[in-house]
This record gives sequence, C-alpha cells and structure tokens, in this order.
Amino acid sequence: MAWDMQKLIRSFFASNASVTIIVLLLIMVFLMREGAGFLGTYKHELEIYRKAGLELCDLVDRPLAQHQDLSSKLRRAVTTSIDPLIQSTRARRDAAFYIKREIEQSTTLPREALTQALEKTPALDPAKLDQLRRQVASETAAAAATAAISNLFSAEEVARLRREMSLLSPEVTEMPSFLTELSAAFRVMDKEAKQKYTQLIEASDLFEEAPDSLRAMLSELKEDVLFTKEAAMEYFTLEEGRQKLLKAAEVATDLKEKADLLAEAEASKTEEPNYQENLAPVLERREELQEHITQYADSITEALKTLPKTGDVPEATKLLAEVHEHMPLHVQAMRKSLTEIKEWQAEKPVSIITVVGAFFFGSAWLTNSSWQDFFGFVPLLAGSVVIALIAIVIATPLSVAAAIYTNQFASDREKEFIKPVIEFIQAIPSVVLGFIGISLLGDLIKDMSEIPWLSGLPGFPIQERLNMFNAGCLLALMAIPTMFSLAEDALNNVPQAYIDASDALGATKLQTVFRVIVPAALSGIAAAVLLGLGRVIGETMVVLLVAGNRIAIPDFGVGPGFIFQPAHTLTGIIAQELGEVSRGSAHWQALFMVGIVLFAISLLVNGCARAVVRRFETPKA
Amino acid sequence: MSNPSSSPATSAPIVEIRDMDFSYGSKIALHDIQLAVERRRVTALIGPSGCGKSTLLRCINRMNDRVPSARVTRGAVLVKGKNIHDEDVDLTQLRKQVGMVFQKSNPFPKSIYENVAYGLRVHGENNVEVLDDAVERALRSAALWDELKDRLQAHALGLSGGQQQRLCIARAIATQPDVLLMDEPCSALDPIATLKIEELIHQFARDFSVIIVTHNMQQAVRVSDYTAFLHLGKLIEFSPTELMFERPKEKLTESYLRGTFS
Repeated sequence: MAWDMQKLIRSFFASNASVTIIVLLLIMVFLMREGAGFLGTYKHELEIYRKAGLELCDLVDRPLAQHQDLSSKLRRAVTTSIDPLIQSTRARRDAAFYIKREIEQSTTLPREALTQALEKTPALDPAKLDQLRRQVASETAAAAATAAISNLFSAEEVARLRREMSLLSPEVTEMPSFLTELSAAFRVMDKEAKQKYTQLIEASDLFEEAPDSLRAMLSELKEDVLFTKEAAMEYFTLEEGRQKLLKAAEVATDLKEKADLLAEAEASKTEEPNYQENLAPVLERREELQEHITQYADSITEALKTLPKTGDVPEATKLLAEVHEHMPLHVQAMRKSLTEIKEWQAEKPVSIITVVGAFFFGSAWLTNSSWQDFFGFVPLLAGSVVIALIAIVIATPLSVAAAIYTNQFASDREKEFIKPVIEFIQAIPSVVLGFIGISLLGDLIKDMSEIPWLSGLPGFPIQERLNMFNAGCLLALMAIPTMFSLAEDALNNVPQAYIDASDALGATKLQTVFRVIVPAALSGIAAAVLLGLGRVIGETMVVLLVAGNRIAIPDFGVGPGFIFQPAHTLTGIIAQELGEVSRGSAHWQALFMVGIVLFAISLLVNGCARAVVRRFETPKA
Repeated sequence: MSNPSSSPATSAPIVEIRDMDFSYGSKIALHDIQLAVERRRVTALIGPSGCGKSTLLRCINRMNDRVPSARVTRGAVLVKGKNIHDEDVDLTQLRKQVGMVFQKSNPFPKSIYENVAYGLRVHGENNVEVLDDAVERALRSAALWDELKDRLQAHALGLSGGQQQRLCIARAIATQPDVLLMDEPCSALDPIATLKIEELIHQFARDFSVIIVTHNMQQAVRVSDYTAFLHLGKLIEFSPTELMFERPKEKLTESYLRGTFS
C-alpha cells in the first residue's frame, strides 16, 4: 500500500511535467500544420501571377518606380535654386496679405453685420446702414493703426499699408493697390528666376513627362492582365466551394438533399480562364512596349545631358549630383527590362526554390493589394532585428552597471530598495508602456531633435514620432529587469575565494570588481544579455503601438540616423493582421510562417544563451 | 638561515602583537595576545579548532575588516614597527607587504601569467618586461617555472590541485612581501604536494617571514622555527619549536601535544 502511494505521487508529478511538454509539442505541431501549407498556396498564387501576365508588367513597372523618386529630387532642386531669388519678394507679399487677413479677422463682427444687413430684402434703413458702415470703418482703422507690421517694409511703406488697410470694407472688392503691386513684383521676380534656371526647369519637365506614353500603355496592359487574374481567382474560389458541395453530397443520406447539393455544385461550375488566349493580345504588344521603353530611356538620357551638373545653392548641387549618379543606373535598369521582357515566358513553372526565396528574401510585404500580394519577410525581420539591437544596446550598459552597483557597492538598505524597484518594471503592462511611447517619449524625442544645437546628431531633426528608436527605448526598459536579475545572479555566483584572493593582494574594491568579479561573471552576463534579446524579439504590444508600422526595409543609406525611421516587426504584423485575414488564405498561412520563424529565432537565442553558459562555466586548460 | 649574521636575534620583530583583544561584535574571539614574529623565520600557529588561529592570522593583514562587526578592541598590531590600524596606513600597501595564501587554492579564472602578475598590476605595474621578470621569479620561487614555462597563457583552473596551490603562493610572493601568511595551505592536498610546499616554506625563510596556521603538528615541527599555541582565544605558549615540542612549559600545551587533550 505504501509503495502504491509513492508510485501515485510520483506519477502525479511526472504527469504535470509531461502536460507542459505535450502542450509545447502541440503548439509546435499546430504552428507547423498551419504554416506548412503556405509554400504550396503561395506557389499557386505566384503561378497565376505569372500565367496571367502580371509578372510581365512588373518587369517594367518595378524599375519605373524609381522615376518618381528621381523626378521629385529634380523638382526639389528647382525649388531650392529658385527660392533664394524670390524669397524676399515673396516674403513681402505674404506678409502684406497676412496683415490684411489679420485685420479682417479682428473686425469680423462688424463686417459680418454689415454684409448681412446689405443682403437683406427689403433694404434696410439707409441711416442704419450708414451706422454699420461707420462702425466697420472705425474698427478697421483702429486695427490698421495698431497692426504689427514686420520689418520687411520701410517706414514709408508701413504708412501706406496702414492707410490702405484702414479703408478695407466688405463693400470694396478690389485689392488695395499696394498689395497688387507686391503681387506683381513677385510675379516678375518669379519669372526672372525661372528664366535664369530655364535649362534646369526644362530638363526637369522633360524628365517628368518622359514616361507618360509608357505609363499609358502599361496601364492598358495592366488592365488586361488583371482581368485574367481576377477571373482566375474567382474560378478557384468557386471551384473550392464546388468541391465542398460535392463532398457534402457524397456523405448526404437524404436523396433530395443529395440531389440539391449536386445541382448547386453543377450550377457553380465555371471554366478556368484560358490564360494563353487572354495573354496573346498582351504578348502581341510586347514589341510596342519595348519601343516605348527604349524611347523613354533615350529621352531621359537626353534630359540628363542638358541637366546642369551644379546648382547655385549647396542643396541643389547635392540633389543634382544624386540625380546624375542615379539616373544612369535607372536607365540601365530600364534597358535591362528590355531583355527580361523578351525572355519572359508565361509557361515557365514556378519552382519551390523561387517560392522559398520570395518569402525569405522578398523585400516587399504587400497585402490586400488590388494588383498582387507579396509575402516578403525581409522588411519585418529587419525591423525586428534593428529594434531588438537598439534595445539591447541601451539595456545592456544600464542593467549590467546597475547589477554591478547593486551587487558590489550598494549598502543593504539600497539593495532592499533597488532590487524590488527594478523588478517592478516587469509588472508594468506592455500596453501601458506603449502609451508612454506614443504620448510621452515620442514627443520628447521629436522635441529634442528640434533643438538647434543637437541638429548635428545623425537623423536629427526626425520626421516621425513613432519610430524604431522610440520602440527600442521602451523595449530596453522591458528587458532591463530580466537582464538585471540574471546579471546580478551571475555576479553573486562569483566564488568568495576569488574576492578573498584579490583583497589579500592589496587590490582596491574597484580593482577587485573590474579585474576579478566582472570577468568571472562574464559568461553569466553574456547569457543575461542573450536572454534579454530573446525577451525583446518576442515582445509585441510595444512595437505594435510605437514602432510606426511602416512595412519597408529601413533605409540604411542615410547613416546611423536610420534608427529614427518607422518600421514593422515580425510580432507586430501577426498581431495586427491575423484577426483580419480569412482563415486558410495565403495571407493567413504567411502569418503562421512568420510565427514559425519567430519561434525558431527565439529557440536559437535561448540555445545560444545556454551554450554560452556551458562553454564558460567549467574552463579547461 | 643562510646568513645568520644578517638576522640577529636582537633586530626588531617584523610583526608584533601587543596586548590585543579582538571581538566579533560582543563575542570576544582573541584575548590579550602578545606575539613577536622575527624576521626571516617561520612561525607556526597551532591549537584546536575554533581557538582563533585563523582569526589571529587575519588580524595581521586586516582581512577581518570585511566582517562588519569585527574589530580590535584593545592593544595593537604592528608590522615593521608601524601600527596597522593607524589612520595613515594604506591598506593596499599593507597587503602588498603582507601576502596571504588560503586554505583552499583559489587561482583566478585567468591565465597562469595573469594570475601571478595580478598583484603587480593592481599596484600599478604595467611594464611588460618588469611583469615578465616578476612572473618568472615568482614561479621559480614556487618551483613551478620548469613545469609551466611553456604554457603561461594556459588557464589556471586547468592545473592540478597542488599546482594551483603553488600558483597561489607564487601569486602571493610576486609582490615581494615581507611576511607571508599561510592559512592551512596543505589541508586540501595529498602528501606529495604537501611535501613540495613545505620545501618551499623552508626556502622562503631565507627572504622573508612566514606565519603558518596548521592543524598538523608534524608539519609545525618540520617547517617552523617558532610555534605559538592558542587555546580558546588565548595565547598559551610561544617558544622555539624544538623547545615547545620537547619541553612544553604549560600543562595545557603538553596535553594538547600528547593528544590527551580533553
């Protein structure tokens, strides 16, 4: 009996352990099952993308996208060049109009009273009207006399402004003459400035108009292929439904029900579109398309020749240099698309390697698109990794230094205070931290970035309040308790004998700490950092709220300032999109794939942490 | 030993303990200790467990400072004639003069070289040649040089137990102390490793004083010139080793040495 009791207790504990393990296994199996179908589904989608001819259009469309960026650079070059010339006249004009508006606004009440009175039918008593007119006149005069006038105007001009402004009234429709003069002066100046930069403006215009005919043709082609694609999608949806009906009919016992189901299935039967036939007219226009591309490439090459190499202001020179640098690459890419179009085949099968590559190395995560969905994993991974690294770079010194202080220098009373406080951070719900990121930290960083003497820092002043740096700071805060506790444990585990030996050799406290204790605890500290990384990679709520959720690979070209760009993350995308997609669709499965990869990353990071500890725990000679 | 004329018995003692009381909080651990340790001699501290041998040893380099409530309540400890509790005493300098070897070997988890060089480094020595010389000299003195000269960069924790303890000795003498405190240095070692360390102690006495705590009375006879017997925090007898073991003055000493101690 006693033995049985022991066995019972034993199996109770064993079953508890196995339940956890089984649950973990079930989670893994479920993730795998949902994600595994992704490659097949995505392959099918990419096959339609190819067969319907969307891929052909993208061969041109993708390099053409650069045009927008380049032409906006040129436009900015034009504005920055012209700006200094017209700035002062424009400022004078704007200032004068501003004063007019101010005066009108400050006299709104009498003005509106007068306007309403004039509109009344039958007409009001003239004496009353006069009274209203007088009121407008006197208030306008008072406002004109006291209006603050900027120092852009000479004393004489100020006097004239005040005089003309004092006569403003709803009944006078023509502009005060001074304002008209100022506007005219600006127009003259603007024209002169534009004449001075004719060459630049013409080149810019030429470039901007260059792709018009190509674009027009492309959009015709796109319409055609999209029609085929949509027909195909509809067919597959109906077909799926039909298969379900047939299956239901198979198991149905009632004869009438069976017949109904079969009839319904028959009714929903449709033809798969004939891709070849639909694509034939598009393919026939292939040469025409190539001609358009060549024409476009030639015309922008021509435009580039006439484009000045330098501007009169540094900003313009910089932009022009960029255009001169990137334009030949753009032309090259366009010309490359010529051969790609020629070699493109709608019948070429999509290999599974292509599908895997499209997921793991795809640079676009594009969903709910009217054109084509792409599930490229790189932008999300990049966002997650950058944010995690920012968090670790911030959290490591803070938590390790705090751990060293607490473990080695703090008095017992300080320890009693510091440890619970830091561990309390863990208790803050991450959604609350998200609030702080949105409402406090975002504004704080943005305001700070606008302080003039900080403008030298990379990325300052920043564009977006919600960005990777902001999210990284908050994740660092979330990682600190974990990292602090583990690092403190590691320091605590350094044998007292090392400290004795160091003390006995006459080392000071600081020397003992930094030459013996910290090096001896280094493996534990490294493991603490890695486990912190694991925590940060998997965190969802904060990044979803604070990281800015722009799905794009960060532009590393701008230097270290890239950390102030918004990004999306592996965790964030799942949380944001999983609730909205239809179950079993390619998008749904893609999100599960992301989940699997996330799981793998976490396993890897944890495994590394264990390996680090094991590697350094028992050093061998 | 090597040069008797340079160590006259009349020279001032290197360590002198005067009428010292020492307590942990309200518990008196040592009572009225009087002890003068001569230069270039080996002094053994013996006595039953808990008699205060280790505490006495740790008073000499102020290792007890780290125990918050522990302090000397009466009397003084002088090293080279200087009261080590004076305000102007630099603790790091004191510990440079008074080295210590612990019961259990405790090399740092660093290379052999870095272990030996550690004492010099913390005292500000960074010159590689000076360090190289000091490491070689210390390892030779600890009879480790021949064994280890080809793998100075190897990890210290990969050495055998006896080697580790000798490495700790080399580390303690690398700063050329005047006194070396040894707290039961052989208690965790096998007889051969013990023998090697006892040989080292003999050699050390040419250059500096050694104070050794030991449980092993044969060891005290083998290595020491003087022996102090402590019991319940009191110094019962302090005399040349031969004399003490042949003709102990005190009854208590005699019964302890004969093993008829109750």
